[in-house]
Amino acid sequence: MSIDDTLAAWGAAARLPAAAAADIYQRIVMTPSPARAARTSTLGPGLDPAWWRQFSADFSARIVMSTQPVPYAA
Amino acid sequence: MDPEAEFGRLYEANRTAVHAYFVGRTADKWLAADLMQEVFMRVWQRLPELLDRSLDGQRAWIFTVARNLSVDSFRSERSRADTAAAVDDEPARPSPSAATAVVAAERLAIVSEAIGRLPERQRTVLAMAAAGGLTSAEIGSALGIPAGTVRYRLSEARRTLAAALAGYDQPEPSET
Repeated sequence: MSIDDTLAAWGAAARLPAAAAADIYQRIVMTPSPARAARTSTLGPGLDPAWWRQFSADFSARIVMSTQPVPYAA
Repeated sequence: MDPEAEFGRLYEANRTAVHAYFVGRTADKWLAADLMQEVFMRVWQRLPELLDRSLDGQRAWIFTVARNLSVDSFRSERSRADTAAAVDDEPARPSPSAATAVVAAERLAIVSEAIGRLPERQRTVLAMAAAGGLTSAEIGSALGIPAGTVRYRLSEARRTLAAALAGYDQPEPSET
């Protein structure tokens, strides 16, 4: 048995068993990560800009109207 | 981008080399596994940044993290046996004969003990070559040293191991 064979046997024995490596992988990916958070928290396209323009215009008009004196009821 | 798939690719491509690196530094297979987990935890946390790099850049980043990790803080948390004992828990390989198996096991024990006594720098490159399957150039790139330096350290380590085995291989002089 040459020194190369002995070293190869040592290397094989020192290597992490596949099951242990898989276990470590699972433990890591179970933890929260920025990459996953970015993927899962992505919102849809949102409301149309035209809707927001209309909403803002209506809102402003109501604010202005609220400052007007209310005519006495007849 | 599927983060788990991307991380899985990085993990499979680098885990053996990183683990071998820590086996070299700690002479403890299970402590090395803890350290490897810590490195890949950081990879997982910084995945988007890492994926912008080339494959070589990714490995360089991973080994920079590995080199900067404090081994001592992990060592104090773990009370596992050293590599020699870790080797013992592996199932024995089938051998052609019992005598051959005994010789192989004894040689392996001698080499394990001798590797444990090597200077850390020699042990690290030896572990990365023997357990990690890396070339001298790849080891040099990971450690940030010239490939020639890696070859020199490997040569020194092998010389020490050969000397340790020579005592075993030489038959005892018979008394007359």
